Amino acid sequence: MPEIGLNHFLVLSAILFSLGLFGIMTRRNAVVVLMGVELILNAANLNLVAFSKFNGTMSGVMFSMFGIILAAAEAAVALAIVLNIYARFKTVDIGEIDTMRE
Amino acid sequence: MPNNLPEIIEQVKLSLGAFVPEISLSALFLLVITLDMVLNEKRVVIPMVSLVGFVITGFFTWQQLDMPNQEYFLRMHVVDPFAVFFKFLFLGAGALAVLITMDSEELGEKNVANIGEYYAVLIAMVLGMFLMASASDMLMMFLALELVSISSYILTGYLKHQIKSSEASLKYIIYGAVSSGLMVYGMSLIYGLTGQTNIYEIAKFISANEVDEVTLTLAALLVMGGFGYKIGAVPFHFWSPDVYEGAPTPVTAFLSVGSKAAGFAMLIRFFKVAIPAEPTGELAFDWVNFFALIALVSMLLGNFAAIWQSNVKRMLAYSSIAHAGYLLLGVLVADDLGTQAVMFYLAAYTVMTVGAFYVVILIANKIGSDDVNDYRGLGKRMPLTAAALTVFLVSLTGLPPTVGFIGKYMIFTALLGKGTVFLTLAIIGVLTSAVSLYYYFKIPLNMYLRESEDGAETPMESSAFANALAAFLMILTIGFGLFFTPLANFAKNSVIMLVMN
Amino acid sequence: MTLTLITFLPLIAALITLLIPKEQKQTIRLVSLLAAVGQVILAVVIWQNYNPSLAGVDDVSKFQFVERAAWFSVELGGYTVSADYLMGIDGLSVTMVILTAIVALVGVGASWTIEKSVKSYFVLYNLMSMSMMGCFLALDFFLFYIFWEVTLIPMYFLIGIWGGKNREYAAIKFFIYTLVGSVLMLLAIIALYASVIDPETGRNTFSMVAMANQQNFISGSALAPSEGNLLRALAFFALFLAFVIKVPMVPFHTWLPDAHVEAPTPISVVLAGVLLKLGGYGLLRINFPIFPEVFQQFAWWIALFGVISIVYGAFCAIAQTDFKKMVAYSSVSHMGFVLLGIAAVNSLGMSGAMLQMFSHGLLSPMMFLLVGVIYERAHTREMDKFGGLAKHMPVYAGFIMLAFMGNLGMPALSGFVAEAFVFLGAFAVEQTRLLSVIGTLGILLSAAYLLRAYKAMFTGERKPNAAYEVEGHHGEEHAHFHDWKGKVDLDGREIALLAPLAAIVIIIGVYPAPVLDLIMPSLNRVAEILSAAANVAMK
Repeated sequence: MPEIGLNHFLVLSAILFSLGLFGIMTRRNAVVVLMGVELILNAANLNLVAFSKFNGTMSGVMFSMFGIILAAAEAAVALAIVLNIYARFKTVDIGEIDTMRE
Repeated sequence: MPNNLPEIIEQVKLSLGAFVPEISLSALFLLVITLDMVLNEKRVVIPMVSLVGFVITGFFTWQQLDMPNQEYFLRMHVVDPFAVFFKFLFLGAGALAVLITMDSEELGEKNVANIGEYYAVLIAMVLGMFLMASASDMLMMFLALELVSISSYILTGYLKHQIKSSEASLKYIIYGAVSSGLMVYGMSLIYGLTGQTNIYEIAKFISANEVDEVTLTLAALLVMGGFGYKIGAVPFHFWSPDVYEGAPTPVTAFLSVGSKAAGFAMLIRFFKVAIPAEPTGELAFDWVNFFALIALVSMLLGNFAAIWQSNVKRMLAYSSIAHAGYLLLGVLVADDLGTQAVMFYLAAYTVMTVGAFYVVILIANKIGSDDVNDYRGLGKRMPLTAAALTVFLVSLTGLPPTVGFIGKYMIFTALLGKGTVFLTLAIIGVLTSAVSLYYYFKIPLNMYLRESEDGAETPMESSAFANALAAFLMILTIGFGLFFTPLANFAKNSVIMLVMN
Repeated sequence: MTLTLITFLPLIAALITLLIPKEQKQTIRLVSLLAAVGQVILAVVIWQNYNPSLAGVDDVSKFQFVERAAWFSVELGGYTVSADYLMGIDGLSVTMVILTAIVALVGVGASWTIEKSVKSYFVLYNLMSMSMMGCFLALDFFLFYIFWEVTLIPMYFLIGIWGGKNREYAAIKFFIYTLVGSVLMLLAIIALYASVIDPETGRNTFSMVAMANQQNFISGSALAPSEGNLLRALAFFALFLAFVIKVPMVPFHTWLPDAHVEAPTPISVVLAGVLLKLGGYGLLRINFPIFPEVFQQFAWWIALFGVISIVYGAFCAIAQTDFKKMVAYSSVSHMGFVLLGIAAVNSLGMSGAMLQMFSHGLLSPMMFLLVGVIYERAHTREMDKFGGLAKHMPVYAGFIMLAFMGNLGMPALSGFVAEAFVFLGAFAVEQTRLLSVIGTLGILLSAAYLLRAYKAMFTGERKPNAAYEVEGHHGEEHAHFHDWKGKVDLDGREIALLAPLAAIVIIIGVYPAPVLDLIMPSLNRVAEILSAAANVAMK
């Protein structure tokens, strides 16, 4: 069985990143879009931890810790907003929530 | 970096002295939250407390002027004149935001039951901006940016019973989350390339070692996504028209000046320090051309799209995109003059934009509309407010004798004499500012040249306090347009940024 | 202090006006009148104390009434940007200052009948009057630019609020046209500052006086006069565009008919009398002396466009049926002479151009006042609605005759002297000889449209659908001017406005020497600067 190296992590994170971006661009459901954002953030976290392991400094791990916490905070606010949107619009489809464009 | 705990604690202790303004803001934040819980009558007390807190913080910030340029907190936080200038700017913008919130009926008792939290979040946002201006580590940049962003999502959606405000907050958080995600991913790549998160160490590493050019370019582009979203430049601008229109107007005003200025502070520090324009080593990322492109498109799109808007807040949103373009012109020059011009312009922009939004609030309080067609005949009905708005718009256009003109003058001075590309950008810049006249003057056109449809001419002046504040901002706009030496020299002395060799 | 006072008197009046309650219309008018009279008195003082033997132009010690104070000094990155509050008078500006004072006073008089928002009107009027005067007096380019731009904002509102039916369109068109021209000027100013040093202080300067001397350019700087410096040509055209839009030169003239037709009478008076002259003045003071060799290169083209303006403007005037529009196009035509005269690059042509500015600055206000008189009475300006007016309005017809004759260049009136000088000057130079011959066509054409207008409106009988009725039995009809508010011929105020202008037109036409004495030394100096560059260019 081959040794798992840095590149494996990077490829995985790139795949996560692409999936996240794909989700953001194609999905119209606000919650799913936010899930895409989470995927991107986790891709970044994976990157940071992997780099940290392979170049021996700890700052990457530290960064990812904060990243996880911030993602949680952001998700909390985001979900609160989505809930409020649902109460106003009775939908969370971002394509339909468009009252301002002229 | 020290590794054992006692040393770390020692460093943190030493650093606390350089952190007094931020500590004071945090204390203010806690105080406001506490007051919000215990007080019954908050509509006057809390804003007053906030203002006093800003003044105290301003005093502590002023003391930082004499401090040595140095990194603190394990190289996370920098104190230098550059940061101090922006801190003053944020305090000023924050104080103005508090003042104009007090006058807004949108956020008045009728619509918002509890206003205490609003001020607390506003203070948190100012704190985040402080940290943005001082951050010298990518981690700190990320945290500070998120603090500002999350606070601003909350403020944008503060009128949660209103459809527009809710919609704006959703759009804001989706675009914001995506771009900060891109930014973090870019930062992780930079960390991977250099093994560092501190921007000075990154610069050192890049100039000393071979770095994969393609990856670095990609990473810088991704990071730019996060910054570009904060400053509202094309192509990261999609949120701004809807958010500007939907958010409560005081929040729009604060976002358009505070967030933008904080974004520029971080952008300048990051690109000037971490990925410098004239690197000692081999560097592929030609960010001057990249910024030139962004600036060009921002100026064109912002100014031309604004022509078709009839909602004043939306129009100002597009105009703020255009102003981000002008500011980027100053950033891409990358010398001290360019930075000074950007700083001056941001200060000028704060005065005139907050002024304009304030008048928009005062008008909306009376007529209940942000549509330019409803502004007809206001010149007669609200003479002072209308005159003030005209002055702010003249300043936004960049005509003398206003501070906006001096700001443009400095930006273009920075651009000239630096080659054909910059000359072309300057020519496009001045021509688009002539275009901007067309849409800015749609407002005076309606206020003065047209009569209101029902022929109403009854005066509806605002309170004496409101008139005084509008007049004060108007006098600042003209005063700094004729006698701008102190402000320009302050900006000049503040371009000094901590640089490592 | 004289120059500061003459510039800022209207500002003081504006500030005082702000304090007067808006119901007291008469007080507001009187305050502005006082300021304007003060300006005229100061202009006379300047005229009396002006020493015509000093040339000025590129030597600050030969300017008069000079006022200098440091304004700001700002460190911008590596170098210091400082501007002075520098004002002074030489032969290029002295006549323009006198003209501005006179026209501003006439404008106040013509504004007497304005009843809509009197207070705002006079505040704006005074702001405009201040900035016009400032433009002619400022010798610091930065200061000049501020005055120059400040003229636009009050003008926009004056046309936009007190104008005619299409006022919104006319106001914004005027604003954007002139702004596009002047934003490019800003870039030229910045580049000039970086390239020119003041010989007295050895530092970079905004002084237009220093810029007019090629020796003050830093060698190697962006705008240094050197062989094939493309940037100089660019800067030249940036300034040129700003000024010829104001002049206005065909094809940049389209804002002018709109602005004039929509503007209220006093604003038309000021627009035609002073604002257009800012363009010609800017060319003479700034554009050409700073870039003489570029000017020489394009002198023939400038003359050509001057002639095109003359002929095209005249043809357009012929095509008009609206009295005011005709006068507006005749302004385009007559300002073409200014370009032709300057492009001749000799003192004869240039003095002709300067005289033409002065003379047109008197004649066109007269014309617009006269148009205003008839419009105010009949509420129409269509020329074929009138007829036989000479019988009913003899005094009016007399003034019209004088203004028309002055405009078409009848001898013994100021227009003749000016245009004759321009033609003689242009004819004397080989390269503009043919153009000057074509330009004389303009005089013929102007005779055509002016006399046609006179014939249509003043001679013969009343026309069908006329703006007034004729009643009574055969042999004893009298015109019934319903809706003319009882006024038929000129009243005292109108005569008081027109008579001084008419008097000056006649005096200069008969005896132009006083004006020529004032302007010649400076114009000779400008001609020297421009010809010196021609000699260099030929070598």
